[in-house]
Amino acid sequence: MNAEWGRRIGLRVVAIAVLGVLWQVTATVMDNPTFIPSPAAVWHRLIQTSTVHDGTRGYSGHLLIEHLGVSLRRILIGSAIGVAGGLVLGVVMGTVGWIRVVTEPVVTFVRALPPLAYFSLFIIWFGIDETPKLWLLSIAALPPVAVATAAAVHNAPTALVEATRALGAKRWQVTRDVVLPNALPEIFTGIRLAVGIAYSSVVAAETINGVPGIGGMVRDAQRYSQTDVVVLGLFAIGLSGLAIDAVLRQAETRLIPWRGRA
Amino acid sequence: MSSSLKTEHAVEIDGVEHRYGAVAAVGPVDLSVPAGAFLVLVGASGCGKSTLLRLIAGFEQPTTGTVRIDGKIPEPGRGAGLVFQQPRLLPWKTVGGNVELALRYAGVSREERAKRVPELLERVGLHDVAERRVWQISGGQQQRVAIARALAVPNPLLLLDEPFAALDALTRERLQEDLRQVTAETGRTCVFVTHSVDEAVFLGSRVIVLTSRPGRVALDQDIDLPRTGIEPDELRGLPSYAALRATIGHAVRDAATV
Ligand SMILES: Nc1ncnc2c1ncn2[C@@H]1O[C@H](COP(=O)(O)OP(=O)(O)O)[C@@H](O)[C@H]1O
Ligand SMILES: [Mg+2]
Repeated sequence: MNAEWGRRIGLRVVAIAVLGVLWQVTATVMDNPTFIPSPAAVWHRLIQTSTVHDGTRGYSGHLLIEHLGVSLRRILIGSAIGVAGGLVLGVVMGTVGWIRVVTEPVVTFVRALPPLAYFSLFIIWFGIDETPKLWLLSIAALPPVAVATAAAVHNAPTALVEATRALGAKRWQVTRDVVLPNALPEIFTGIRLAVGIAYSSVVAAETINGVPGIGGMVRDAQRYSQTDVVVLGLFAIGLSGLAIDAVLRQAETRLIPWRGRA
Repeated sequence: MSSSLKTEHAVEIDGVEHRYGAVAAVGPVDLSVPAGAFLVLVGASGCGKSTLLRLIAGFEQPTTGTVRIDGKIPEPGRGAGLVFQQPRLLPWKTVGGNVELALRYAGVSREERAKRVPELLERVGLHDVAERRVWQISGGQQQRVAIARALAVPNPLLLLDEPFAALDALTRERLQEDLRQVTAETGRTCVFVTHSVDEAVFLGSRVIVLTSRPGRVALDQDIDLPRTGIEPDELRGLPSYAALRATIGHAVRDAATV
């Protein structure tokens, strides 16, 4: 188990090192920093955007960590609203037959839309400040949780439901003690999906009035052909996304110790 | 209904038939189970034993006829504690938490529950497992927990559907003996389903042999063997035990070929 772990880590370190070397070689051969900035240039940008230099604060007046913080906050609030809404909708969908029939195609429809498609609508409705961004992330995060919850609630194991009813449980007690805990693993998978979608949508949400924010930073950088800043922004989003997914996985094993054992 | 009738018969089954669509699973069956009896239903697989038990538990409604527990139409969670072939414990609860649920549904206070959970577990021969996770105890122990949980249901009727069928022989014999003691001590009325003739004779105060589908009463046999103060081996060694086994075994084989 530990040797297995060591091997996996080792493999990943090697893969990253190889990618880094490839990157450096390509950058050197191309010799066009606007097209492919070298790792060193991106590293330099990291230092620069993380500090106050020549009286300038980070990038566009905000440190990198501040851009990232604002984006993460949006992701957090947006997916929290989306997850909460998805949970409630999912439980209702999974319990009440006709509501499922009515809402299922709507949820699937929204799920199929690229978030940018309805972002324009939110801009028209809610202006260009925080509100449309949070709406975008919430609506993007809701469907996977709703779908996962509905399916899991609908497929509650008859054996356990019956056993619990035989103990004298009322309907709501069966929901609380059997249906919801049983759905928790699927709900968690839905939440991880939702957070992932919120992550991939935040850059889109920040294309309009997005500074501070990683998306705003990347967009400005693109306008001024500061490719190294664009790459830095991608790394900031991607790496923090990995970290958040790891946190969610940890929470999952803590909260669902029975996963795979029932 | 007079109250004397109520106490006399815990379960009244009156002209009951049950069909699943076109499949006639049970009946017609007429049967009364006196309070305090240990009734065993024996029959070949598929003859309708589980269906009959589910009718008594209130999970199925008879196509014709009536089932009554203490004079009332059965409803799940009202009239009886129920034990299935699989333990059906909730994996997100601890062992103690599973037993506690039944007490909670019955409206037992928190302090009272904390006292009674270990008592109930002790009663089925489990010590120091309340904090364990369900998957950390053996299959036999899980089935003991399922029995403890059913005993926590505050009514005197206990329904068991082949609860020991999935256990190894040694564990099964231990649980049979312990169940015999627990039910004798607590004065429970039991309806116990099995396909094992030996289990029927060992546990029952009365054995009903069912015909093949649709299940009807083929034999109604009182078992007047000593119920307490006798070792299992001693009981199984009695000549009358062997005779009853033979009688019931014959009836089961005849019923299956009808
Ligand atoms: N839910 C159901 N739907 C249709 N047929 C069923 C259902 N449950 C049981 N049966 C049928 O009814 C008959 C009796 O089943 P059951 O009561 O489970 O028998 P036993 O417990 O004696 O093995 C069987 O033939 C079985 O296939
Ligand atoms: Mg059965």
